Amino acid sequence: MNGAISVDSISYAYGEIKAVNGISFEVARGEILGFLGPNGAGKSTTIKMLVGQLVPQAGSIRILGMPVHGHSSEVNARIGVSFEEKNLYLQMTAEENLKFFASLFGIKRLDVRALLERVDLAGRGKDRVASYSKGMRQRLMIARALINDPDVLFLDEPTDGLDPVSSRAIRAIIEERAHAGTAVLLTTHDMNEADRLSDRVAFINEGVFHAIDTPENLKLKHGTRSATVRIRVDGEIVEKRVPLDQESVGDGLKGAVNDGEVVTIHTEEATLEDIFVSMTGRGLV
Amino acid sequence: MSGPGRAAIVGAILKKDLIQFSRDRVYMVLSIVGLVMFITVYWLLPDTVDESITIGLSHYDLGQFEAVFADAEEGLDVVVFESEEAMRSVIAGDAEAWRTDTGRILIRDTVAGEARPENAKKLSVLVGLGFPENFLRDTATGTAGTVRVLVNDDTPEEIRTAMVSFIREIAFMLAGVEMPITEPEADEIILGTDRMGAQISMRERMQPMLIFFVLMMETFALASLIGVEITHRTVTAITATPAKLSDLLAAKTIFGIGLSLGQAVVLLAAIGAFGAGNALIILTAAFLGAAMFTGIGMAVGSAGRDFIGTLFFTMACVLPLAIPAFSALFPGMSPAWVRFVPSHGVMTALVDATAYGAGWSDVAAPLGTAVVWVVVLFALGLGVLSRKARTL
Repeated sequence: MNGAISVDSISYAYGEIKAVNGISFEVARGEILGFLGPNGAGKSTTIKMLVGQLVPQAGSIRILGMPVHGHSSEVNARIGVSFEEKNLYLQMTAEENLKFFASLFGIKRLDVRALLERVDLAGRGKDRVASYSKGMRQRLMIARALINDPDVLFLDEPTDGLDPVSSRAIRAIIEERAHAGTAVLLTTHDMNEADRLSDRVAFINEGVFHAIDTPENLKLKHGTRSATVRIRVDGEIVEKRVPLDQESVGDGLKGAVNDGEVVTIHTEEATLEDIFVSMTGRGLV
Repeated sequence: MSGPGRAAIVGAILKKDLIQFSRDRVYMVLSIVGLVMFITVYWLLPDTVDESITIGLSHYDLGQFEAVFADAEEGLDVVVFESEEAMRSVIAGDAEAWRTDTGRILIRDTVAGEARPENAKKLSVLVGLGFPENFLRDTATGTAGTVRVLVNDDTPEEIRTAMVSFIREIAFMLAGVEMPITEPEADEIILGTDRMGAQISMRERMQPMLIFFVLMMETFALASLIGVEITHRTVTAITATPAKLSDLLAAKTIFGIGLSLGQAVVLLAAIGAFGAGNALIILTAAFLGAAMFTGIGMAVGSAGRDFIGTLFFTMACVLPLAIPAFSALFPGMSPAWVRFVPSHGVMTALVDATAYGAGWSDVAAPLGTAVVWVVVLFALGLGVLSRKARTL
């Protein structure tokens, strides 16, 4: 295994409950892996093991070729983490938060202003974080994760509950980092976000992987495509659905079109959520 | 990128803790106002001990009484009232007795709102003896008489009993008869320092209590800081960097001890405790106290979920530790189990050093006990906090 993140059959249980059960995967440099699963699926436990805050009860993890456990300081010096909870110091300003964490990385000269500009917080750097909105705090979390120019980025629900503008800004930063060669592991509930951002997605439920592949391949392998034809018949609108994954697609479409006056034709493909539900038997919430 | 050294990381966390502490008005106000208040209270307390008992006396003809009372006991302050009625109203609290510079006794009727007399000192008459008019003659001739002992509801039972015995003794003296017993010789042995004429004042007795209050406040401040790290899960953000949990624990240890010890030292210096005893012993005791309370602060901070929760847990854990400080206020009245309270060793060493000028050999035992308790409580605090941080 030579990925930026290499995980081999890791498991972790809280008492009798198996949170993660023998999962393996790799993330290459510059790749974004989307981790998809409902609450309690094992996403956060996996991230805690990856950043060295939990020790796997079985299996092994290597980050940038180094085993995580026993080398946590060396590994952590090269990773950035944005946790699901906004664990910032609320009574300190954004600048003080960033400077403090920079000092933990041994960074003496941090261009705080540039970092804050990147997440569109430059004008509020001297304000206490307690006065920030949820979106601003999330952007500051991203800025904090980027302090050390990490080679590996772990982002736990980075856009959860954010407005579209904040979400778009954060997605742009994630894509930019990946293009710069950072390996990104991203957990999210948002299937559209995962579809748009991820090079590959992994479906996790009850601690095990149900699939790991590119969004396109998952849709091709497990989804169904169709065309919805809306025609007007005797003044009324009628909808006809024609499956596209069959040999007689042309006959089906021709029949639908000939039945009346065509109003619209839409093609549809399965969403990741549809595929997740069909594979795991449950939704993402 | 070369990683920072452990000392640099601990220093960075300490700096952050100081910023957080300074931003919280509650802790800042509590720390500064509390310290000023404790110092003020200390200097307002009396620094002398009035060992004399003031008794009132009413009699138409003092005669030999003056000599009898003058010789009777050391520390007996006799106030002669013109009438038993005046003495009764003073002891009942309806009037006050004042003694002028010339020794004259003035009665101020407080119920009528009379003004305070000038150039006079107020007397606190504990008990009054009302002798009958023919007491001298009756006693000399062996006739039974009645002496009224006037006390108020504040007068201790011991003093009432002592006064009754005292009157009997006077009667025998007046009658020129020896008491019907062979008086045993009393060999007075003073255990410890002889403080005759220099008893510990209320001000001195308050020292451990004030130090306890300072340590308690800073325990609360530390517990709250740790509580914030736990509830906001900032601990996990720190340990996702090159910083280790041990760095965080080291920083909290230094911060907690530094904060408590710093305040205790300021207080001790402001009340002049270092000049009263061996400064190194006092510093050692204060350090052990700070370490003990830091351990408690860590455990409490790990358990508290919000301000009220932290306050509740702090009080529940810390208040029992005040018992030895109370014992110092009322020596001789504390039960034997007080010595098993963890703070007993620290408080005993502080009292012995500041009030009795104890040396190292005198405080070796209490300091040894304190060290054991510090190790236990500090290990407990570190264990609880590290376990909590690992399970977030």
